[in-house]
Amino acid sequence: MVSTYADSVKRASFDDSLMPPCQAACPLRMEIREYVDLIAQGRVMESLQVIRDSNPFPSICAHVCTHPCEDACRRGQVDNPVAIRALKRFAIEFGADRMIQLEADTKHSERVAIVGSGPAGLAAAYYLRKLGYPVTIFEAYSELGGMLRVGIPQYRLPREVLDIEVQRLIQMGVEIRTNTRVVSLDLLFELGYKAVFITVGAHQSLRMGIEGEESAGVVDGATFLREVNLGLKPPVGASVAVVGGGNVAIDAARTALRLDANEVKILYRRSRAEMPADPAEVKQAEEEGVEILFLVAPIKITRESGRLHVTCIRLTLGEPDASGRPRPVPIKDSEFTMDFDTLIAAIGQAPQIPGDFHLRIGKGTTVWVDPVTLLTNRAGVFAGGDAVTGPATVTQALAAGRQAAFRIDEYLHHRYPLADKQAKEALAGDLLPKTVEIIRKANRFEPPLLPPKARVKDFRPVELIYNWETAIGEARRCLRCGIGAEILFQDKCATCLTCLRVCPYHVPYLDDGGMIQIPADQCQACGICVAECPAKAIVLRKPYDRRHITEELDHVFQAAAQSRFKPLIIGFGCQYGLFGTGALASLWREAQAGIWIVPVLCVAKVEPEHMLRAFEMGAEGVFIAGCGEQCAREDTAFWVLQRVEKVKRALTQLGLEPERLQTVHLQAIDEDPATTMDKFAEQIGKLCLASALKQEGKG
Amino acid sequence: MIVAEQKSLEEIRRMIAPYERVLILGCGTCMTVCGAGGEREVSFLHSALRVAQARSGDGIHSFTEYTVKRQCDPEFLATLVDRVKEADALLSLGCGIGVQVAAEHFPDTPVLPGVNTSFMGAVSELGIWDERCAACGDCRLAETAGICPITRCTKGILNGPCAGTKNGKCEANKDIDCAWILIYRRLERLGQLDKMRRYYPPRNFRTIPRPRRIVNKVRTELGESNG
Repeated sequence: MVSTYADSVKRASFDDSLMPPCQAACPLRMEIREYVDLIAQGRVMESLQVIRDSNPFPSICAHVCTHPCEDACRRGQVDNPVAIRALKRFAIEFGADRMIQLEADTKHSERVAIVGSGPAGLAAAYYLRKLGYPVTIFEAYSELGGMLRVGIPQYRLPREVLDIEVQRLIQMGVEIRTNTRVVSLDLLFELGYKAVFITVGAHQSLRMGIEGEESAGVVDGATFLREVNLGLKPPVGASVAVVGGGNVAIDAARTALRLDANEVKILYRRSRAEMPADPAEVKQAEEEGVEILFLVAPIKITRESGRLHVTCIRLTLGEPDASGRPRPVPIKDSEFTMDFDTLIAAIGQAPQIPGDFHLRIGKGTTVWVDPVTLLTNRAGVFAGGDAVTGPATVTQALAAGRQAAFRIDEYLHHRYPLADKQAKEALAGDLLPKTVEIIRKANRFEPPLLPPKARVKDFRPVELIYNWETAIGEARRCLRCGIGAEILFQDKCATCLTCLRVCPYHVPYLDDGGMIQIPADQCQACGICVAECPAKAIVLRKPYDRRHITEELDHVFQAAAQSRFKPLIIGFGCQYGLFGTGALASLWREAQAGIWIVPVLCVAKVEPEHMLRAFEMGAEGVFIAGCGEQCAREDTAFWVLQRVEKVKRALTQLGLEPERLQTVHLQAIDEDPATTMDKFAEQIGKLCLASALKQEGKG
Repeated sequence: MIVAEQKSLEEIRRMIAPYERVLILGCGTCMTVCGAGGEREVSFLHSALRVAQARSGDGIHSFTEYTVKRQCDPEFLATLVDRVKEADALLSLGCGIGVQVAAEHFPDTPVLPGVNTSFMGAVSELGIWDERCAACGDCRLAETAGICPITRCTKGILNGPCAGTKNGKCEANKDIDCAWILIYRRLERLGQLDKMRRYYPPRNFRTIPRPRRIVNKVRTELGESNG
């Protein structure tokens, strides 16, 4: 499961791909395009491996990531973005993430203390441990996880998921001190720690600043969620108001519904468009019965006979404020009053740094750090996560933790901090309308959800997992940005314009200087021009596919040489989709002949030489099995047929029957693929016999 | 551009039969563009010949492949000396010119033509080529509205159309446009129909002295430039 250094060097040297927008948007720079492509091929275990390479706690991200990758996804310019987070969740569940065991050796003697066990702290512990440092995590609460544990409701992040990741950290040898509030950093250094990482999060709720805020029955969002998440069941009464429009407000509202509330209203001072909460979460909340009052803000709370009278005012949107969002302006004489049992104020949180830490405070109440080294004003004290940035996302915190681990490593070894490696150029630019027009439209599959009525009964996870079929279908929607064709050998290019003429997406063009350009941001990486270029001047930026076919062929022949099956039949089968994993994978077992499948990433990449090579190596019959209607690219079948005809002509001239080469669309036929293959094998058998007799006749 | 098509595999196999080590040599210019002998075709031919050898079981040949930018320039061929030394024959996928230049350049190595050089033409759509020029050495396109009657008229007549034109097509082949109808329409469009009324005397093809040569430099005697 572990990719070695040699592997990565090998991979890198053949990889000229550009960083896709999803990866550029991900705080962890995950190789999204790669793992989505592996899911599209049904290679879920490998997909999980790619995911784990760049994410310390992928199962957590799979549940709660705010997926900035999906916002950047260029599929959104065609129809809807690829459901990347849900696909990751699929890979986690179907790739058996919970079975993965981790180990780490101690290579250094310098001990590192991590104050706070939120996502940033856990990620730092993970990477420091991998680097070989003895690590201790100090946590004030009774359990690890920080906001993951006390902030995020269980229906979004089941506690088993978090527990498994924590368990793995313990396996790796991270020392855990729960119920231990750090009061002095000096003490940590006295205890022998050489570096300290402060990730205390942002748990202090902001105050609304209105009259009656101190009344009983008014609670802040972070405290409310913490109490529920630590197992208390605070009585909220039948009707609850939540003030705010962020994810915490939505979480608080949905949590209240799962307690004893049967009426929950969210009061938000702007309109739906400005709501910072994830729209999918908002939709789910509304399905469950949460009512959102837009352009409404409380201005006064009074408590009478156990009920809260909340005076609200209606607002309208004015000029943009410092945050760039329109400023809500009160409408005169629009006050009205509503009664609630509980009011939850979730209008934001800020870090609260103990004064005894003697840390320099930056913007607001956050810790100041050097942006490159992540060092605070004190030697050996680093900080990251919400404590530095203010409330942010889990993935940002994980990225901060990872960065801190590397900075601490450099600090402890007196090295200069290496600037973050930007090894790859990021792909920029929108798809052109003419390209968008031709790309096949395919709507996004959303993962199934529990029905709203079932959800609000308890804290069961709301979102279910894709099945194989939908996951693979969804993964196939990826446009594979940044691995498209490029003219690698300009000196070979005869400017014959073949690429310009064969491209289904009209991507290549002649520039003013008379040179062919293939813009990377438009190319769909279908591979047709690569195979059709008469000068062989074009390659895909990730030429793995091409080598792969030849290597697989060699592999098949080595294996087939030991097999007793006759006649030998080679099939080039599309590896994408259910087709690759399902129908084809089992063929060689089910069919009677010696059928060997060479998996290819789209049959458009099978060149005539590949087909001829199969015959050269002794195949009696060759077939090309495309995925037919499932194909996500254009003109694939057309070009496969062109090449097949060319090879058939050559076979005829060589005295071989052209029927030895066939194309099959297993999807299109009603009968069992194995039966089809048996028929093909039988036909080939007869041809072999006939030609043997002919040979004998001649002799 | 020069257009050619690859010879049949049977013919190629017959040609190479006496030679053990065969270098398949592609050409990176016209033959690449017309799809008859670029690197892709070299590689395809190489594969096909290997299949033939594997299937027939009499494997005497060993093949190597290479593609130069242009076979019609000896400087490009000069880079091949070592490769050609290792070969018993050179199977050139260059046009007839390339084959001859290679033969001149490698006097001790048999050079075999892998393509039939067909004509000078243009692409009409991907994979379809049409003849456009006969290299007659006496261009009349100014009088025929840029449409060559020598190559595009089946008879090659200079005063058309003949009586065999029907609905704008040629009597010899109903899929072919009558060149003279095309000329008429275009002259009409250009307002030059008077050119149709002139008589063009027949041309004397026998005056072409073969092989032709173009000299585009000033001949200087040795020492002359020193004054």
